[in-house]
Amino acid sequence: MARSPSDTGGLALRLYVAGSAPNSVRAIANLRALCEEHFAAATTVEIVDLLQEPERALADGILVTPTLLKLSPPPTRRVVGNLSDASKVLLTLVGT
Amino acid sequence: MISDDPRYMRELEQRLADAQATIDALLSGQIDAVVDSLTQTPLLLGKAQSALRESEERYRRIVETASEGISILDENARLTFVNRRFAEMLGYSVEEMLGMPLDTIVPESARAAAAQRVERSREGISQDVEVPFLRRDGSQIWIGLRTSPIRDSADRWIGTLGMSTDRTHYKAAEEARRASDAQYRQIVEATSDGIVTIDAQVRIVFVNHQLADMLGYEPREMIGASLFDFTSPAGRSTVADSLRTRRSGARGAFDTTYRHKSGADIPVNVANSPLHDADGRYIGSLKMVRDVTERNRLQSQLMISDRMASVGTLAAGVAHEINNPLAAVIGNLEYIAETVARPPGSEIATAHSDAWIIEEIREPLDDARNAAERVRFIVRDLKIFSRSSAKEVSGPVDVNAIMDSSLRMAWNEVRHRARLVKDLAEIPTVDANEARLGQVFLNLVVNAAQAITEGNAERNEILVRTRLEGERVIVEVSDTGVGIPAEIIARVFDAFFTTKAAGVGTGLGLAICQRIVTDLGGELTVTSEVGKGTTFRVSLPVAGKDEIADTVATPQSAPTSSRRGRVLVVDDDALVARTVSRTLAREHDVISVTAAREALERCAAGEKFDLILCDLMMPDMTGMDLHRELVISAPDQADRMIFLTGGAFTAQARAFLSDTPKEHLEKPFDPTNLRAIIQRFLR
Repeated sequence: MARSPSDTGGLALRLYVAGSAPNSVRAIANLRALCEEHFAAATTVEIVDLLQEPERALADGILVTPTLLKLSPPPTRRVVGNLSDASKVLLTLVGT
Repeated sequence: MISDDPRYMRELEQRLADAQATIDALLSGQIDAVVDSLTQTPLLLGKAQSALRESEERYRRIVETASEGISILDENARLTFVNRRFAEMLGYSVEEMLGMPLDTIVPESARAAAAQRVERSREGISQDVEVPFLRRDGSQIWIGLRTSPIRDSADRWIGTLGMSTDRTHYKAAEEARRASDAQYRQIVEATSDGIVTIDAQVRIVFVNHQLADMLGYEPREMIGASLFDFTSPAGRSTVADSLRTRRSGARGAFDTTYRHKSGADIPVNVANSPLHDADGRYIGSLKMVRDVTERNRLQSQLMISDRMASVGTLAAGVAHEINNPLAAVIGNLEYIAETVARPPGSEIATAHSDAWIIEEIREPLDDARNAAERVRFIVRDLKIFSRSSAKEVSGPVDVNAIMDSSLRMAWNEVRHRARLVKDLAEIPTVDANEARLGQVFLNLVVNAAQAITEGNAERNEILVRTRLEGERVIVEVSDTGVGIPAEIIARVFDAFFTTKAAGVGTGLGLAICQRIVTDLGGELTVTSEVGKGTTFRVSLPVAGKDEIADTVATPQSAPTSSRRGRVLVVDDDALVARTVSRTLAREHDVISVTAAREALERCAAGEKFDLILCDLMMPDMTGMDLHRELVISAPDQADRMIFLTGGAFTAQARAFLSDTPKEHLEKPFDPTNLRAIIQRFLR
């Protein structure tokens, strides 16, 4: 499931989760549904488990999970929460 | 000012928005963890924490209660985790197994394969295998093992997860099944019987070598073909009947004929069992096929033996039957000889005229001839019963005539025990073989006689009745004997069942009778009452419209005013030769010789005969040899041969008579008949 965002020139996302905690599991499922419905196959998604790799979260300035980070195209954007409000997530990711 | 920088302003706005979103998320309970930036560790929020604990607990419980053994190997093939079930399978405790190298629980012979599996796991391949493991006590168990590689989040291979099922029992069961399969295969191939299975459409699904060999094919030539391709046209209806029975679910055996590749018919006995699927639907049948050529041959041999045994048993009686009339013949001829041989000149001779002598010998002559006729009948009866099976022709036969012969044969058994009452109606002929039907009647009559205690002939009765009932001829033989108890009446037709003393009966008589009658399309039944008597009843279908075949030409009235013919008589028995000469001398020129060679010499020298009466069986040169020679040297004379037969045929003679369309005359022959035949040749 882990993929490097440099794989493609398309949309690159990274989702920080806390193991299999409820909101994290929901966030993963919501993100997957969003990707299938709205984003091209070129979209890369990396999932980072805060419990496994806390140092990466700190490096990215993540304070809470679940947090979705848009890495590219710039500018960097983040969405906090379990991503259940699809329209708000879409606005954050593709709006600007 | 930094605050005037629009990029900074946008960044600040964004951060404020993010902070707001984070607060909103927190408030709406969408956050699982917060990172403590001081200790740099994530802190799970209450709900997430308990959920994680629950989920861990759930997995732990699954792992521990799983009926499968679960194990994890690290990248160095050491056990880093086993559940209790896995430890139990191998006879260890969980603690003992942790850190244990894989090789400890793998038998030496399987270690190379185990190392290969670890390698494949490293390549990312999941596996499903059945492998031996070594238990702590040194015993071996078979385990069904499914493995999947384990990777960390960085996609590095860090070991193998294994799920194990104990297959020892399955393995043993499978080996037993395999052994039993092999055994069945061996039985199927080793048996001398043919085995074939067919599907519901009568197509051959399996056939063993024996049946293929029996029919002259290779098994692969037969598979897929219809079984009907291998049955004779005659056997097809029996097979079709049987298939209907199979569909209804019954087992059974029947006789039919299969067809060899060469076109020859093979008599077979087929034992059948229907095959059903799990839902009980008919899906075909399994047939065991036995070649019964040999059995049939033995069976007919047995019938002949039984017939000969009956005749043998009756031989004493028959000798008696012959001796009586023979005594009459000899006595009367003696008297005639004395009467005509009075010394010339004696006073009695002068006192009696020729007329007196003729009057004196007329009656003894008639008696002698009648007595001789009786002997002739008895001998003809005997011939019926001793006729061998080599040519068991069936044809329309006269049931009453055969019954008469049988009664004459059995007379000596009957006379001291009972009165014989005949009630023979006029009945049509039936299709049968004389000898066999005679065997049946003889058996029934002798049995009837033997059921009656000797010495009370006037008070006992054997009743023989024939009559027509619809399209069937009924023959009943009843006695007033001891009767058959109800508990054994069902067994009287069983082979080897006998109530007679050892040596008196073989126990085959009635079994063979029933077989013969059934073969004729008839029925043999019995009714009996203890103390009152027994009735055996034969029911036979009426024959088609053919005339009764008769080897002896029926006497014709001799046409008068015919020319004198030249007749050559060839018989090694001078008595017969002379008698024939004497019979014919008044009307014809008769030359008699006692050797076939002499006859051949005369013909070869150019002598011509209107008729050659020739004995069939003679020492040195037989009648058959003479015929063969004449066909070459004097074919016109060969055409004029008529054979005289005494009845004791060799197989060769029988074949000769059936192959050569020549007339033959059975001894003793009727002079009228003989004259009629000669007249035909003179015309």
